[in-house]
Amino acid sequence: MKKAFTYFRKLPLELIFWIGALIGILRIDPYGPQHFSLCPLDNLGFTWCPGCGLGRAMSLLTKGDFQESWSMHPLAMFAFAVILFRIYELIKNLKTTKHYG
Amino acid sequence: MANVLKHLPELEGMELGYIQGILKNMDDEQASLFAQVYRARRKDNQMILILCLLGFFGFAGLHRFIIGQIGLGILYLLTAGLCFIGTIVDLINYKSLAYEYNMKIAHETLAMMSNGNFPNAQNGNGNGNS
Repeated sequence: MKKAFTYFRKLPLELIFWIGALIGILRIDPYGPQHFSLCPLDNLGFTWCPGCGLGRAMSLLTKGDFQESWSMHPLAMFAFAVILFRIYELIKNLKTTKHYG
Repeated sequence: MANVLKHLPELEGMELGYIQGILKNMDDEQASLFAQVYRARRKDNQMILILCLLGFFGFAGLHRFIIGQIGLGILYLLTAGLCFIGTIVDLINYKSLAYEYNMKIAHETLAMMSNGNFPNAQNGNGNGNS
């Protein structure tokens, strides 16, 4: 039990989250109709928030549809760059640090 | 061999172990110098948690700014913390965010001490006495 707990604590949660997010974005179909949404705000009944459309915009970016992507959410390119950089940084940290504890 | 509990008693968990590993090959004087600088520069993980919680009131990503990830900070701020999902993940993950930053600071402090350009009270050669 204790072993499982320490193993869980060593798990790079943030890295898994970002990579999972990118895989999820590659898998969604941006042209399709309204689908099941993970967004907690959407599930609470809000119809708009500042991040709405970011996932679809990033998905459109990977399909090469830049104009549509920009009109969906202008931050898509920036988000891609920042998230990829963060993944690189997290992997580098994971490789180089050894924990004494 | 300096004991981390004597110099930095407020640390806990993984950070405690990591700093003990650093202090292992220091004498007491070096360790207290290290502790002084490190304590002034490290970020408490409670502060990360509180700034992260501010994300639910419209100011998302402040914790990312504080730990020096400006890009992610801007992204969080302009998208309400990736529609709250990013904020919730960081809420779970706040300890490792603080730990990551503090590790970086510890190494910076070590590098500063070994470079020798540390303002020392003993030999203030000119610029340290103002």
